[in-house]
Amino acid sequence: MNPHANMIIMSSLILGPMITITSNHWIMAWVGLEINMLAIIPLIAKQHHPRAIEASIKYFLTQAAASSLLLFSIINNVWNTGQFDITQSTNTMSSTMMTAALTMKLGLAPFHYWLPETLQGTTTMMTLILTTWQKLAPLTLLMMINQSLNTSLLVTLSLLSMMIGGWGGLNQTQLRKIMAFSSIAHLGWMTMILTLSTKLTLLTFYTYITLTTTMLLTIKLLETNKMSTAMTSWTKSPMLNAMMMLNLMSLAGLPPLTGFMPKWLILQELTKNHMTIIATTSAILSLLSLFFYIRIAYYSTITLPPNMTNYSQQWRHKNQQKPYLPLMIITSSMLTPIMPTFMMIM
Amino acid sequence: MLKIIIPTIMLIPTTTMCKPTQLWYTTLIHSMLISLLSLQLFYPSLQPIMNFSNHNLQQNQTSTPLIILSCWLTPLMILASQNHLSTEPLSRKRTFIITTIILQMLLIMTFSTTDLIMFFVLFEATLIPTLMMITRWGNQMERLNAGTYFLFYTLMGSLPLLVALLSLYSNTNSLSILTMQLSPTMLKNTWTNSMWLLAALTAFMIKMPLYGLHLWLPKAHVEAPIAGSMILAAILLKLGGYGIIRIMSTTNFLSKTPYYPFMILALWGIIMTSLICLRQTDLKSLIAYSPVSHMGLVTAATLTQTEWAYTGAITLMIAHGLTSSLLFCLANTKLRRIHSRTLLLTQNMQLLLPLMGTWWLLASLTNMALPPTINLMGELTIITSLFNWSNTTIIITGLGTLITATYTLHMFSSTQWGELPQHIKIMTPSHTREHLIMTLHILPMMLLMMKPELIWGPLYC
Repeated sequence: MNPHANMIIMSSLILGPMITITSNHWIMAWVGLEINMLAIIPLIAKQHHPRAIEASIKYFLTQAAASSLLLFSIINNVWNTGQFDITQSTNTMSSTMMTAALTMKLGLAPFHYWLPETLQGTTTMMTLILTTWQKLAPLTLLMMINQSLNTSLLVTLSLLSMMIGGWGGLNQTQLRKIMAFSSIAHLGWMTMILTLSTKLTLLTFYTYITLTTTMLLTIKLLETNKMSTAMTSWTKSPMLNAMMMLNLMSLAGLPPLTGFMPKWLILQELTKNHMTIIATTSAILSLLSLFFYIRIAYYSTITLPPNMTNYSQQWRHKNQQKPYLPLMIITSSMLTPIMPTFMMIM
Repeated sequence: MLKIIIPTIMLIPTTTMCKPTQLWYTTLIHSMLISLLSLQLFYPSLQPIMNFSNHNLQQNQTSTPLIILSCWLTPLMILASQNHLSTEPLSRKRTFIITTIILQMLLIMTFSTTDLIMFFVLFEATLIPTLMMITRWGNQMERLNAGTYFLFYTLMGSLPLLVALLSLYSNTNSLSILTMQLSPTMLKNTWTNSMWLLAALTAFMIKMPLYGLHLWLPKAHVEAPIAGSMILAAILLKLGGYGIIRIMSTTNFLSKTPYYPFMILALWGIIMTSLICLRQTDLKSLIAYSPVSHMGLVTAATLTQTEWAYTGAITLMIAHGLTSSLLFCLANTKLRRIHSRTLLLTQNMQLLLPLMGTWWLLASLTNMALPPTINLMGELTIITSLFNWSNTTIIITGLGTLITATYTLHMFSSTQWGELPQHIKIMTPSHTREHLIMTLHILPMMLLMMKPELIWGPLYC
């Protein structure tokens, strides 16, 4: 890409959420979201083939609709409360509309339809940015207005997200679509606990970023995008392949890996608030996503020669080493014993 | 306690760094030394001195035999796996041994922890190495299905357990086993309390397994390699029993109605699974169904919450662990020779492998609970306590014992007596290693016959 364009786009991409996160004024927050959206559209369409362009158009349409809904709810809020302060937006109707708008931006059910196709249509690094960096701004806004949000609405949305994230990913073979559904399910866990404890939302978000980044960087290094090519990834880097299994189990939330920590704390918070049945339901729904993670782990790590499945040999290129990946793998597997530190930090 | 845990963890670097030719016997000798160290945990059982405790890791007489059993089994697993791993490359051999060692470490910590949430985390953590063992080193295509069944059955039960423990925590603000045992709560028979009990017990019932929830067990045991089968049968099932004992010592319902479904399934399961064993053609499957009936006895006993019941349950758990593991090793020796698990393909092995026939005989005798083995002590104690609870259970338990003896005898006579099959041309003689494994299984059983107080649990005075 043209270096000038690249510089402008990259800096806008970083600037957007920074403006949103650090603002008190609703319009500035909205401006940050818009800058972010405009910056990432050409990045998604970088490859110029029809699938990427379709992905960027889908992204644009949904995000633009969500932004306009957000702007409308901001104006409604201003009309009712008379001020633009984010933390004091207490009007019920506008908070509900803001919830709808922000969950559409995040990709929560029932507004998730754009996410799998957008993540599939673009490169792996763009998938990484879309699932991690793009979630930062809307989640921050949700956390700032969390007192005025309706708990039942959020719990409904999050249970629906967990269901869709679980059941939707079952039929997928493309790894980026699987990461999309995993993103939907994890965002469900994050928004479940939003009104009860924003600390835990933040902890879940950080854990999710670590795990997803590790997974997508592993996928990039092993140059696989589908389950069929994942079967031969053991030839490219056997150790990383084995560690991918641990990372997948961590995404699924199996103790004693890191991914279990937010789930445990969320369940504890829900149980303390006497939402026991919701806690049990959400815990069991996470088993659905466990199935497709385990399936990837089976295909890539566990069925190795001489017990082979059908696969076709691939071109092997020089491994693009990512030096920070081992550290990320350790972070994604071993943080549960130091859980009290995280509770203290947040 | 650290003097057992730290050497176990350090065995992992030992495995990665020792010379290739010395891999097997280095790990074997070191794990044997660790199990020798673990034997001193028996000391507090004999005198009322608590030397080995701190705030987080403690053992009492319930958990000590299980810790020692898991330490004892690791060298046996390493011994038993040598044959089928001989064709694998070195790094995979090392990975297998490291999986075994991680499993031992997790099991030691599971049995000695004092906090119920830590127990839960470690209970779940044992799933991952076991899953790796079953699906990575099993032999047939069905092992993937077996691994999925194993994982999902256990997790389906244990996620409600987590919520139940957390709700107990929000009520009592402490999940330490020590304080909970001192103040068993009187629970009224409300729907909420029954649901709590269901959530808390289901995970352990699935692990035990209870009869209706046992479908993962034959799959997992049959598809697992020998080390996986050994550790599954000997220790991982007893995790369920240990969990039930811990939970049941702390809850006390005013009316015992919530326990009835579990009791009924357990008692009925004893008969049903013993009958299923009689009809099996697959040797490993036969041996896999027998824990269900023995553990049915244990489940029914622990649900009655009396002193004799707990004593019998713990005794039977240890005795059955050793016996089942021994039977799996014997089946593996047969599998290695004819590469098939069919029961009737090798008959009259007593002629060809006489010393192995002795081990088959001893294993069968202990499985059918011959006096004076510890199996009989456990079963008789349980039957007596169940009779005290309700007189008619004697019919079920007596019938169960009879059918157990029947299928064990059927298994023994099918493999050892009969007509020599014509199609076997080559039968390699038994290795010394195999005899060593069998001896190391039988020796603890014989020695425990001499001093069974060691495994009689905390309620024996």
